[in-house]
Amino acid sequence: MQSATQLRELLGGYASEVERCIRCGFCNSVCPTSNIPHAYMGSKTSRGRLVILQSIITGSRRVELSSKLLDLIDLCFGCRRCLEVCPAGIPIPQIMWSVRSAANRMGLHHASWMLKSFIKNYDKLASLASRFPGLANTITRSRLGKALAERLLGIDRKVELPAYMPLRHKSSISSQQRLAYFGDVFGLYHEGNFVSRLFGLLEKLGYGVEVPRGQRQAGIPLLELGLLDEARAIASRNVEILSGYVERGYKILTTSPAAYLALKQDYPKLLDNADSRKVAENTVDAVQLLNELVGSGGLELDSGGRGIVYHSGCFSQATSLSGAIVELLNNAGFKIVGTTQRCCGVAGMWGLLRKHHETAKQVGSTLFNELRDAETIVSQSETCRLWMRSFLGKEILHPVEAILKYCKA
Amino acid sequence: MRYKKVSGDDLENLRRIVGDDYVSTDEEELAANAIDAFPGEFHMPEAVVWPGDAREVARVLAYANENRIPVTIRAAGTSLSGCVPLYGGIVLNITRMNRVKEIAERDMLAVVEPGVVYERLNEQLSKYGLFFPPDPGSAVACTIGGMVANNASGMRAVKYGVTRDYVLALEMALPSGKLVRLGARVFKTSIGPDLTRLMVGSEGALGVFTEITLRLRPLPRKMVTALALFDKVTDATDAVYEIVRTGLDPAAIEFLSRKTIKAVTQFRDLNIPDADALLIIELHGRDEHVIEHMRDVERILERHGAFHIKSAEEEGERKRIWEARKGAYPSLLRISPSPLTGDIIVPISKITDMVAKSYEIAKRYGVDMGMVGHIGDGNVHHTWFADRREPGSWERASKANEEIVRYAIELGGAVSAEHGIGIEKKKFMRLQHGEAYELMLQLKRLFDPNNILNPGIMFDLEDVMAVELPP
Repeated sequence: MQSATQLRELLGGYASEVERCIRCGFCNSVCPTSNIPHAYMGSKTSRGRLVILQSIITGSRRVELSSKLLDLIDLCFGCRRCLEVCPAGIPIPQIMWSVRSAANRMGLHHASWMLKSFIKNYDKLASLASRFPGLANTITRSRLGKALAERLLGIDRKVELPAYMPLRHKSSISSQQRLAYFGDVFGLYHEGNFVSRLFGLLEKLGYGVEVPRGQRQAGIPLLELGLLDEARAIASRNVEILSGYVERGYKILTTSPAAYLALKQDYPKLLDNADSRKVAENTVDAVQLLNELVGSGGLELDSGGRGIVYHSGCFSQATSLSGAIVELLNNAGFKIVGTTQRCCGVAGMWGLLRKHHETAKQVGSTLFNELRDAETIVSQSETCRLWMRSFLGKEILHPVEAILKYCKA
Repeated sequence: MRYKKVSGDDLENLRRIVGDDYVSTDEEELAANAIDAFPGEFHMPEAVVWPGDAREVARVLAYANENRIPVTIRAAGTSLSGCVPLYGGIVLNITRMNRVKEIAERDMLAVVEPGVVYERLNEQLSKYGLFFPPDPGSAVACTIGGMVANNASGMRAVKYGVTRDYVLALEMALPSGKLVRLGARVFKTSIGPDLTRLMVGSEGALGVFTEITLRLRPLPRKMVTALALFDKVTDATDAVYEIVRTGLDPAAIEFLSRKTIKAVTQFRDLNIPDADALLIIELHGRDEHVIEHMRDVERILERHGAFHIKSAEEEGERKRIWEARKGAYPSLLRISPSPLTGDIIVPISKITDMVAKSYEIAKRYGVDMGMVGHIGDGNVHHTWFADRREPGSWERASKANEEIVRYAIELGGAVSAEHGIGIEKKKFMRLQHGEAYELMLQLKRLFDPNNILNPGIMFDLEDVMAVELPP
């Protein structure tokens, strides 16, 4: 049995953050997995996880860091909603990363070696698959492909995997206003279609857009798995590339809330250096940029008053991009007939895994009922869209995609 | 007092009552139920049991009573005073009982199970233009059952009253296993001793609520909020007194002391000038009259020397004003790792004396302290800055707090206005109640002769055991 001191050492500075928790339970009120039927059990709630960690750290109890406890820790999928309500400002998701990291170092593996390797290298695999999208899509949609994904990676065979649709773009860097696109895996390999149409619009408006070579995935799933050193290495690589662009006067452009969150919040904390802060300061999301263009009179959008329901996903809230999205949809003349902040349950890759699939569906069920009759649904997060699409059987669009589809620009 | 340990047979019998999934002895689950928001120690139960309805609650109690197993009742676990299984045994966790059974719009009442979360209830009620007003600080997390058990309240109590004013009827399970109904679905009765009111604030010492009938109020249509700053705290407290007694019927009068204002300015990105006291006053009503009444409030504030007054009707601006108050406790938490939070209340004419005494005590003990409070009804929460990791720090804070509690009682006030007694304040029960404390202990013995319910919470176990029931 490990001692309190041992865990304290493994958690580093996060141990005292665990101790600072006042156990008010406010985090439970927003935590997606703390509001489904199993959450009558305190141990399956956000506050419960912190209390259990407190009991270990203070040496109060017999509980220890075990695979049973890691299963409970696994119920935090890093939505970051708790950060908005915690009166004591405890970095709850980051604590969970550090617990998983501690477990990895202790040889307690809550995820298979195969899954970890897959997530560490997903961008490289996706880059390869994108060269042969037809073949890759046939494999991932086949029964054999799904059975293999389940067997090797633990991905539930019932889930719809994202299709490969790589971003094809020729850089146009002659312009004065330069943008370097940081896409994460969806922007670069799965949703290249709408991203390249966005670039087309921006180029018409006088921007030059470049897709920096060598950029890696944003890496948030690595943080969630507690692969902190690996995530730091990826962050460092991305910052090295992007800071070079910033020095040459580029702004960094994102379309994915995960990419934006990584650059704006996670990298500066992980790396704690001037370059990461410089990149954060110079990062702009497409929805913000389009709002600026509308504001300055450089762009006029008209959707003809089309009704739209806006789903504000976890990361759109964590990045405060939700406000900019609503502003953009209004600017584009959409009639927002409904907005919802409910979590869909997928949380990146979390809900795709067989061990979480049913829980993820339970988290999303209220949202799915709410959206059942909606005609046009907009959501910024790529995996939320993928997940909601598969349950609602309807098209769910990125806000920029909705503009490109329905607006006369 | 010797209690029986929970045995394998007991677990088997409890599972028969509530179902296999609803009894746990997992170490993780025990730990999660071993502590609440009171900064105390872990007290592990031997089992956690989650009943699904009133009959199951009654059967669990009857079983525990027969077998002399202590039962500690738990809901959201947000108590700031400590409601934890001091003597082990069973934690009876009522979070599964979270149904809103009825919203009777025309009778303006709601019937709920005890595990309904306060804010969730009000979300549902808002569709009918109704609300349950007490608004404790823990609104997003606390349950109606916990609120009734502690007679909880919050920022709106000065106008709308406290939980007790809204509980019309109760169904409760007694340790004998009997289910009783108290009160009626009406706003007033004249039908003998009011056992419903007796139960509100009894902190689970007498029985377990299984159904609660609440009176509701119409949501106010017009709200206006003002913020005022003072150079002298006594000017602010004098202004409070005048606002309350001139019949302006404020819906909230909140107070922040200098230290609290500084903390909020530092941690909440609010630009508040240096001041000795900050007041937030809110008026509620049906129409524009509240704006005229706010002008009267402003005149009172000016007359008492407020050097800055800002009032707002628009929701966004009102929210910005409230940010100073809502951010107060979180900001104090940034300064103090393990704060000791008080909950005293004094007669409103004595507020000024109490504030002066607080500063004197803090200085004497060398403990930093920030005050926030529902000062319109004389209730102030002292946050004594402590750090349990530092030797002597917690003890100093406790002593300072104890002294202000004694002073509050001396002034005719009380040790707790809304947080309850729990394990933290039971040492003040005799001082607070004098001879009446014996009566309370007798009542406890009458309802719970084997002392299985919430032992050591609110009443000291030794006190309960020592009391004689009248022949």
